Amino acid sequence: MPRFRLGRRAILRGAGSIAIALPWLEIMGEGRSARAAEAGKRFVTVYTPGGTVSNNGDGENRWRPSGSETDWTLSPILSPLAAVKDKLLVLHGLAMRSAVGEQHQAGIIAWLTGTNQDGAGGYSQGPSVDQVIANRISQDKAIKSLQMAIRWGTGKSHGLLSPINSVNFEDNANFDPIPPRLDPQAIFTALFGTLDPATADDVKAKIERKKSILDHVDRQYADLSAKLGAADRMKLEQHLEKVRELEKSLDDQVVATPVCQLPELVDTSDYDPFTGLDSDDNGSVVNVTTDEAIPKVGKFFMDMLVMALACDITGVASLQWTDTEAKHTFPWLGLDQHHHYYQHDGGFRPVQLEQIYTWYSEQHAYLLEQMDAVDMGGHTLLDESVVFFGSELAQPPTHDKSTMPFLLAGGGAGMRAGRYLDLTGLPDRSHNNLLVALLNLFGDERTTFGDEDYCTGPLSGLT
Amino acid sequence: MRTLATGVLSLVVVGCYAGLGAGDRGGDDDGAGGEEEAEESAGGDTGVISCEDGRAHPNRAPLRRMTRFEYNNTVRDLLGDNTSPANAFPSEEIGNGFGNDADAQAVSSLLAEQYATVAEGIAARATETPAALTALHACTSGVDDSSEAECLRAWLGEFLPRAYRRPITTQDVDELVALHQAVREAAPFPSGVAAVIEAVLQSPHFLYRVERGITDENGNRRPSGHEMASRLSYFFWGTMPDDALLAAAQSGELETDEGVRTHAERLLDHERSREVVRFFFDNLLPIASLSKLERDAEMYPTFSPQIGGHLREETQQFLLHEIYDDEGSGTWEGALTAPYTFVNEALAAYYGITGVTGESFQKVDIDTTQRLGLLTQAGMVAGTVHSNATNPVVRGAFVVQKVMCNKIPLPTGDLLDEVKPPDPYSGATARERFSQHSEDPVCAACHQMMDPVGFALENFDPVGLWRDQENGVEIDASGSLPGLGGFNGPVELARAVAAAPDTHECFAVNWSQFALGRTLDAGDECTQDRLVDDFVASGTNVRELLIAITQSDAFLYLPSEE
Repeated sequence: MPRFRLGRRAILRGAGSIAIALPWLEIMGEGRSARAAEAGKRFVTVYTPGGTVSNNGDGENRWRPSGSETDWTLSPILSPLAAVKDKLLVLHGLAMRSAVGEQHQAGIIAWLTGTNQDGAGGYSQGPSVDQVIANRISQDKAIKSLQMAIRWGTGKSHGLLSPINSVNFEDNANFDPIPPRLDPQAIFTALFGTLDPATADDVKAKIERKKSILDHVDRQYADLSAKLGAADRMKLEQHLEKVRELEKSLDDQVVATPVCQLPELVDTSDYDPFTGLDSDDNGSVVNVTTDEAIPKVGKFFMDMLVMALACDITGVASLQWTDTEAKHTFPWLGLDQHHHYYQHDGGFRPVQLEQIYTWYSEQHAYLLEQMDAVDMGGHTLLDESVVFFGSELAQPPTHDKSTMPFLLAGGGAGMRAGRYLDLTGLPDRSHNNLLVALLNLFGDERTTFGDEDYCTGPLSGLT
Repeated sequence: MRTLATGVLSLVVVGCYAGLGAGDRGGDDDGAGGEEEAEESAGGDTGVISCEDGRAHPNRAPLRRMTRFEYNNTVRDLLGDNTSPANAFPSEEIGNGFGNDADAQAVSSLLAEQYATVAEGIAARATETPAALTALHACTSGVDDSSEAECLRAWLGEFLPRAYRRPITTQDVDELVALHQAVREAAPFPSGVAAVIEAVLQSPHFLYRVERGITDENGNRRPSGHEMASRLSYFFWGTMPDDALLAAAQSGELETDEGVRTHAERLLDHERSREVVRFFFDNLLPIASLSKLERDAEMYPTFSPQIGGHLREETQQFLLHEIYDDEGSGTWEGALTAPYTFVNEALAAYYGITGVTGESFQKVDIDTTQRLGLLTQAGMVAGTVHSNATNPVVRGAFVVQKVMCNKIPLPTGDLLDEVKPPDPYSGATARERFSQHSEDPVCAACHQMMDPVGFALENFDPVGLWRDQENGVEIDASGSLPGLGGFNGPVELARAVAAAPDTHECFAVNWSQFALGRTLDAGDECTQDRLVDDFVASGTNVRELLIAITQSDAFLYLPSEE
């Protein structure tokens, strides 16, 4: 049976034209939890490449905190997060056992899906956890989930959507990889166009026009799909679902409120978001000007992400700091080789890597602090969110994935932060169990997720 | 139906499990199933197929959506838009490697949004000036309230059949007229026209190649004349059908095998088919972004991104010459063993060839003790190197997997923990750096399938220039591969690869997958066997292969209705 998911609105609008063979409740997802009211409200994933320095060559772990669960000290790499330490839940010791396939690709695929890579050059064999959560908590938002990436597609892409780059996978029959949004100016207009007095009138007029056009397009897909065989029909219905998402986002334009404010528009004319997209096996496309703009552009992305949540435009967001190739340079850190070079292309360079990972911690601290500065009425935006920070591997010189540097933050769904959990002693350290526990936080009470070979049930201790 | 390349291609399996290849993504069911299920359903048909039972065996024909390449070409021919606007669409899924695999094509929220945004830009450009409007239809000049409706219908009568690539119905037109009216209430006439264009460019009748089919006198289901016109046009030109194809569709000419062949030959003979041939090789070979290749300037002072761009052009011009020109061999085997290449002045200096001046490329003989054919061209061996040091695994894997279609599985399980990249500064030569691959029998099981090919190319440095030594140590370029036998150096390797049956089969399969927009599976056995046999019998003639694909059951027919 195809697991073709329908948006709530798609069902309301188009039930007549879409074949529904499943009982109503089944189609709406696994039994809604009684705890749904108190389930997490927002889910954010932040990807950074190349793991961390968990062994600097002298056996020193530069990422792992020290101390006990509640009395602990940040590590050097995590030290920039001091201001939000009581909102962190550090998870040390989980193994990404489901990451089977090409070393980096399998890592980024398994991180949120808990499945093996689907053969060489293939993608995931299941949905990513953010998409499952989006179908639960974000169906009624203007945008069901928001995927954004900074300096993305840095190597080996051949102009195609490479498994090197993909972190999010649809919760549909094919688990299609989701291409992230790359152009900061286009994101700004799409999300906040009506909030910007400079463009608001123009945007509103365009919206009415677009609605007429999409209404026509909508009917064309509905009419034609009804005439086609099952496989082709499903393809057009998937397209139709996305057209309807677009229609919905036009209907639900954002309105300014005390917490929902237009982010500051940043000039990114020195930044080419598409540089490197057609890079080949021969490696990176060097674009120093664009690389120099990464800190500024990254901050702009994070500002937009925070407001997309604060304005309730979406409940689920994904931010990628580049891809697993990680082939851009860090001129602002004085590093003129790319990240992968320091990982192992140029031999393992722990000193430079620590600089890079510490910088990523600084960026993540900025994101969390901004989320923590939004007052949602007695608690902050961060308090009602779960933020999952991770990577495709643990140790860059070996691709080792046995003790992943995972970091949760926030307080959504009763997650108890301000703790450091050393999980190395668990009988089953598979990270699939963490994915199950995350789903449980959002009211999805399943007991297994991803490839069952790597899953024995939810990781306990988050709440 | 999930599909498997396994069992279709001849595979080298010597202690190295032949796994799933790229593009094995499900199309219309399952999805959650594992490999077991995939294997059960491989082929689609139950029982043994007899290719000579007098019936057509087209296998599947999943609904195809325009790629970015095709969209750019189509709006150029439909509306004169030369801006390559589809480059703003997100990258295609990998699928069969050409970005046109119907089973892998998905619609993301971003793509749906970009279809709208890009269409808005195209429509604005097509209607923003009186001259642009006149180019749409002469009636737009001097149009007023009384003539508006008539003019709109006159334009749609000409525009819509071209956009939808089929005869149109009154409903098609009426719906768009209604849209025009809705938008026209708040905006001037051209804005309404623009809205109609935007709607058409997002329509499934424009973006998808819908094939409803007709039944021929033998009871076989085949594409209608118009559907066949699109099949031919997108295969050979990567764009919408021209007037001659539409006329042939109208007259019924394209409902016969001979009619299809006649037009296939016409399209292939036309200059425009070269664009598609270039696109095919840009995707098959590691040359597409050589102009962006960065190498350490101190280590490789004569290389530059400009040279990289020339290297890509060398390979393309060489292949076009081989395939199209009378002096070319016309064959894939010939391209793999040609004793000449194409260079301009800058590239000649790079290679150390004298007597070439000017920017245009010309044919030159090469030193056949060092180079022979496509695989030894500098761009080909530079394009498979990640960094400033060669990697025989990547070079070998390219030849074995993309030229010979032999799948090498990735390490799994406990083996993963043992795999780590070699220190690029250990050992003087690549053979030393990658010695674990041959010394450790677990690694060797698979690496013996690809590393030797890379070692044979070690006389080419990371920018594709000849070297006898690496770090002062004489390069040992000898090796052997099951199925290829022994070879010493790039020239012997080139001859061995060119003569290998796997190489011929692989090339025919790659072109078929590109032409059909999917990954071949066991259900394609009849089509594939015949194409490969004919290709080999022709001495691996490339143009004959392309025509033969249009005469295959998979191209001429549609599967029976569900």
